[in-house]
Amino acid sequence: MTLTLLLIEDDEIERLKFERVLQKNNYNHTLIQAENGETALEILENNTELPDLIFLDLNMPKMNGLEFLNILKSNPVLRHIPIVILSTSNNHNDLKKSYEIGIAGYIVKPLKYEDYAHKIKCLIEYWSVNELIKR
Amino acid sequence: MSSELEILQRALQREKAARKQAEQILEGKSRELYQLTQELKGANAKLEDGLTEKTSELQGVFGNLVDAYVLMDISGNAIKMNHSAKELFGYDINQEKLNIITLIYKEDYEYAMNSFQELIVKGSFSNYQARVYTKHKGVRTVHINASLILNKENQPIAAQGIVRDITEELKQKQIFEEQKKQLSAIVENSSLGIALTQFGKILQTNKAFQDLLGYTQDELLQREVKDISLKEGYVESENNMKKMNDGEIDNFSVNKRYLKQDGTVFWAKTNVAAVRNEDGSIKYQVALIEDITEQLEFEKQRNRLVKNLEKSNKELNDYAHIVSHDLKSPLRSMNALLTWLKEDYVDVLDDNAHNSLNMLLKKVDKMDHLISGILKYSSIDKVDHPKQSITLRDIVTDIIDVIHIPDHITIKIITELPVIEGDKFRLQQLFQNLIGNAVKYNDKEQGIITVSCEQKDEFWEFAIADNGAGISKKYHHKIFQIFQTLDNKNESTGIGLSIVKKIVDLYDGKIWLVSKEGVGTTFYFTLKSKI
Repeated sequence: MTLTLLLIEDDEIERLKFERVLQKNNYNHTLIQAENGETALEILENNTELPDLIFLDLNMPKMNGLEFLNILKSNPVLRHIPIVILSTSNNHNDLKKSYEIGIAGYIVKPLKYEDYAHKIKCLIEYWSVNELIKR
Repeated sequence: MSSELEILQRALQREKAARKQAEQILEGKSRELYQLTQELKGANAKLEDGLTEKTSELQGVFGNLVDAYVLMDISGNAIKMNHSAKELFGYDINQEKLNIITLIYKEDYEYAMNSFQELIVKGSFSNYQARVYTKHKGVRTVHINASLILNKENQPIAAQGIVRDITEELKQKQIFEEQKKQLSAIVENSSLGIALTQFGKILQTNKAFQDLLGYTQDELLQREVKDISLKEGYVESENNMKKMNDGEIDNFSVNKRYLKQDGTVFWAKTNVAAVRNEDGSIKYQVALIEDITEQLEFEKQRNRLVKNLEKSNKELNDYAHIVSHDLKSPLRSMNALLTWLKEDYVDVLDDNAHNSLNMLLKKVDKMDHLISGILKYSSIDKVDHPKQSITLRDIVTDIIDVIHIPDHITIKIITELPVIEGDKFRLQQLFQNLIGNAVKYNDKEQGIITVSCEQKDEFWEFAIADNGAGISKKYHHKIFQIFQTLDNKNESTGIGLSIVKKIVDLYDGKIWLVSKEGVGTTFYFTLKSKI
């Protein structure tokens, strides 16, 4: 199954890392990228086709990940989209708040690129075999 | 002649008649006299009876008098003493002679003689107070009222006195005075201001009270409580006073402001207690006041400090996380870029370039460890999980399972490990860091690590022993300092043992080590058996 993924990440190299994992594994999933929450919301509201899955960085300038999460979950059209958090910290508070608002997963970015690539590969493969709501 | 006779006869006749009349008068008078004599006799007898009666009445009064009664002649010889007098002085004048003057206490002799003079001149004295010797009771203090007895010629013939033993009374009075003095010494020297009030009027104050308010005692006595109170607090006091009057409460305590003589104001903790009459109505109120202006200022300051501390603690906590994120992100990027260089240019790079890239990767790795370590170190005392019973054997067994242990190393728990109250996360860190170090720095072919525990008085003493490289004595203190590491090629950060030390400190324990270079090291630490 081909998935449409939305990656919300302010760091350019992080976006490159994600792209490279897809590329190296020869996945033909569609990747939409947004540098921040505001841009992501624009994309979601203007685009007729919604992503199947959102990857969200928690620490971003301006609107942070938790704020974005809150907006998304209070939007009746968008609230069903599963969201996986990508974060450098396993701060207990962040973890708790995210799950309380409603997330589908929480990934701590490891130091080594190989470890990162492995985690993302697992995620993509997991979501590829899931049934998802198509709009 | 016949006429002469006739005259004579008539004269005789007259004379006879006159005589008869005189006889008749005399007879009447005699009868009167007799009657009078008879009457007098009766009256006399009545009088005599009355006197006897009075005398015996008096006898009875003297006998039953509670006070001592003494009758003496002018030279001081006792003539009569009642029962109480006998009791008091111990003498029976029917058995032995007694001169009252011999009973006068030596030091009071002059005073006694002066009083006696007064008695002679004025006929009486009262409120004489002096000491006397008694036969059985030693020296007693007595109070005497005395009067002189005079004969028909107004000459003094005797003196009588009512004597009361006031020794006990005086002693009680002295004790009472002493207690009063002691009590007022306490009140006067109290650092608390004390005032006695009645319906808002000030009746009595102590020095501290006067000093606190800057008024003299006399000035205060002309004032009412409301004159020295600020209006704001008066309502509350009034309400309490009302409750006290109604008998609902016996005392109350308020913090209120007082107005000093110089117009300044101070805060005082005020305790008011009721002193009640027997019927329960209020007789007085006793107020104790304590200046708490400084105390309140301190409290305010302390609250401010605590608030600031809480704020900066929270900021620090957030700061540690933000910094760690901001520092960790670039490291992740660097790792990715270096990895891609190696992957994408594998055909172009020579061995030298590969080595350099690998060394760079290692440095990035170490940097990441450092950041994690600092984060852990700073959060050790912040994560405050509730205390729970921790089975240390389970903790240590878990650690042995989780950390990587090379095949040539064995870890044994050689004694029972206790169950202690504490924070699981911290205790885990403590054992994991020490056991981890023992594993990491073991240089022997057969590495042996033992964990043991011994109970000492009020604490447990743990030992983690290895047969590794050993640590030179000069480093024994240094190794617990943060960022101090004895090994620079490895990925050690110098944070592990400082975390260990911080945890042991948190539990009021001690940590030390015994080591011999080349032979091995034993780390000892203590934890209170009741944390």
